[in-house]
Amino acid sequence: MITTSIRRALLKVGAVTAIGALALTGCTATPGEGAAEAGPMLTIPREDMGTFSQNFNPFSPNAAPMTTQSVYESLLIYNPAGGDTVPWLAESWETSDDGLSQTFHLREGVKWSDGADFVAADIVTTFELQRELLGGFDYLDSVKAVDEKTVKFTFNRKFSPALFEVGQQVIVPDHIWSEFEDPSNEENPTPVGTGPYTEVSNFQAQSFDLLPNPNYWQPEKQKIPGIRMLAFAGNDGANLAAVNGDVDWAPQYMPDIQTTFVDKDPENRAFWFPPTGAEINWQLNTTLDMFSDPEVRKALSMAIDREQIVKVGMSGYTIPADCTGLSGNYDEWRDADVVADCDWTGYDAEAAAEMLDEAGFTAGADGQRTTPDGKPFAFDISVGSTSSDWLSVANIIAQNLQDIGVQATVDSPDWAAVVAGYETGEFESGIVWSANAPTPYQYYRNIMSTESVKPVGEQTFDNYHRFGNERADELLADFAATTDAAEQAEIMSELQGIYAELAPVVPLFPGPEWGAFTTDNFVGWPTEENPYATLATRAPTTVLVLTSLEPAE
Amino acid sequence: MGFILRRLGFYLVAFWASITLNFMLPRLMPGDPVTRMLSRSQQRLDPQQVESLQRLLGVEGGPWWQEYFAYIGRVFTGDFGVSISRFPTPVSEVIAAQLPWTLLLGAVSLFLAVVIGNLLGILAAWRRGGALDSVVPPLLVFIGSFPYFWLAMGSLYVFGVTLGISPLRHAFSVGLTPSWDLTFIFDVAAHLILPALSIVLVSIGGWMLGMRNTMISTNAEDYILMAEAKGLRPRRIMFNYAARNALLPSVTNIGMSLGFIVGGALLTEVVFAYPGVGYQLLAAVQGLDYPLMQGLFLTITAAVLLANFLVDLVYVRLDPRVRVG
Repeated sequence: MITTSIRRALLKVGAVTAIGALALTGCTATPGEGAAEAGPMLTIPREDMGTFSQNFNPFSPNAAPMTTQSVYESLLIYNPAGGDTVPWLAESWETSDDGLSQTFHLREGVKWSDGADFVAADIVTTFELQRELLGGFDYLDSVKAVDEKTVKFTFNRKFSPALFEVGQQVIVPDHIWSEFEDPSNEENPTPVGTGPYTEVSNFQAQSFDLLPNPNYWQPEKQKIPGIRMLAFAGNDGANLAAVNGDVDWAPQYMPDIQTTFVDKDPENRAFWFPPTGAEINWQLNTTLDMFSDPEVRKALSMAIDREQIVKVGMSGYTIPADCTGLSGNYDEWRDADVVADCDWTGYDAEAAAEMLDEAGFTAGADGQRTTPDGKPFAFDISVGSTSSDWLSVANIIAQNLQDIGVQATVDSPDWAAVVAGYETGEFESGIVWSANAPTPYQYYRNIMSTESVKPVGEQTFDNYHRFGNERADELLADFAATTDAAEQAEIMSELQGIYAELAPVVPLFPGPEWGAFTTDNFVGWPTEENPYATLATRAPTTVLVLTSLEPAE
Repeated sequence: MGFILRRLGFYLVAFWASITLNFMLPRLMPGDPVTRMLSRSQQRLDPQQVESLQRLLGVEGGPWWQEYFAYIGRVFTGDFGVSISRFPTPVSEVIAAQLPWTLLLGAVSLFLAVVIGNLLGILAAWRRGGALDSVVPPLLVFIGSFPYFWLAMGSLYVFGVTLGISPLRHAFSVGLTPSWDLTFIFDVAAHLILPALSIVLVSIGGWMLGMRNTMISTNAEDYILMAEAKGLRPRRIMFNYAARNALLPSVTNIGMSLGFIVGGALLTEVVFAYPGVGYQLLAAVQGLDYPLMQGLFLTITAAVLLANFLVDLVYVRLDPRVRVG
């Protein structure tokens, strides 16, 4: 009958395909090298994009990886690992005496990848687009091209963090972008940039190559044949690629990295997790009566064992926080006296219990504490379900608190639900990241400024725990108004003092900047001894790595 | 004809209900796309920047009923707007780029599972109590009770990492350009084996058992006895008399499985970094990408309904009783 013969035929086709494919597996196991003559490409995984879109628009929040690292460049680069500022497209800059304007002198000889000169008009157009499409820079009054190679920013108020914000904005070419009718929806598939690797090649859904910019301003630093990005739908796939030696650079989190990754080839492989990420805090909702007293917040902070949190929860990849709440990114601002004078980030369960007794949170016969108005001292710790490391941190906190009779329950819905609660102030406590910028201004502003405090129920994007201090407001305003380094340092010390005194949030540890590499194909990676950049692939410093790597012998 | 019209009416109502659900469910989730984007990348922005971003991505939104009617209109014109999580790529482009891979993976594994499973079922029932019947079904049910992504990870580890005989990721080797030449086709096939195998192994037991059980009851029918009495060859009785009649429940199952091809292989796609829509759907849900979610859900809904409709049509052909009923 017909059905039988069709079935048989189909079965045969299926079998033949399977056998044929099996036979060929051996031949295709080694991926073809696109540029075999020029040596291997610098291969980098991207763990949170299952597939790529050919979108190199730097104003798009989901541009293809490397858009703002290797294609477009900024005027200067701040390196949080070394604490230094590297002049890049600008050779030098100065701030006017009144602090209301900033002038950048552009580097001579910089060209766009299409051969056009890099001029001041490019910067003017970039900032027009940035402010129109993405906002921000509300302190900026005007951006003017003084001449071809000089650009002047005028501010409507003094704002010293402006240098880094303005300086790290990536610049797009005026002669291309002024032609786009709808820049926000522009996919910019063949970008023209000043960066070292700008030429898109063989763009596929899960991989693409960036080849050298033929007109780069530092041709002597383009030592690698190109960059190859691979797409992965999660850490597991990207980690497998790293362990298997299929990628040169692994910027994603890897559990037990020493055993799983480095020990496979200790000669060539290494990782470096500098604590320069955003500070990770345990925030207590200060609008709730139980958390309104700084002594209670400090007591809770002393009740938790940060050593254990860092060792167990974070696999030893970071260090415990101190009372300034500053991450390793701000080491040069840290006031050693504040750190020395304060003890509420050290583990001392007995002292914590005493402080809670004094504050009126006494323990009953069953050992459980109650608030001064007689309710059980119990609350939730919110953390997103996908952050397995932070979940274990939250569990350690809950155990530590249990020891002193405080009932904390870890609540772990989806991150979006957690953050929605943070934003409207409808949460009890939670683990949260913080702002990370070249100066601690944004960090302290988000944590202590009254301006950023919104009533519960109203959405806010910065001060989730809703704490404000008027003295901090004044200091923050003073900090923004001065460009004098000594004065800034003094103001920051005083802010650290306020933080240490009032404990607006409970700092836990600085977020590590993940990064691992192999020297199989390329050498010249940043390390703890040579911290010219971090190993991040999405940071402004990435271009420093790209221009320092060279093929291994 | 009346039967088909009735079914068609039913599908229209089902379609309306599902597109309405597609619209409502994502909006019942907490947060908005921009907050989700920031919470995933752990960024902090000024409130003003957040507003600009919301405006840029077009997620400010009017009253829900206005959005609803605009959405219904878009469904019928096939224009789903611009994806938020892949901004500014249009939803149709995102889906079109990835759907073929999902269809390939799903269709190949479904085809293999159905053909092999049913054949095994037929043979097992025909030699009831034989070696095939007593060993294979328990074994397959045992394998089938593993989560399919676990099998996927296991086979990836064994064949990909330890033995190194199969590709570890993606739908084709890096550096190749899609084309119809043999190198590329074989490369795609090589990348397809493990993902497809992990799905086939898990689902094959169900097909086999289903087929075996229906076959056994069919084998007891009088017309089988009659066919044997007539002296027909056993093979002919097995396939043309018993199997054909035992096939009906399987056809229904094929219809349902066809529909789930689109969304069903999510975790396999994630494990093998296969460029299908499954991962995209997960990302869209996590990122509250309403336009992309709507586009994908609609694709899945349409696939399920279409497959069921086709099955209904096939039924009419296969089983004359349906036409009367």
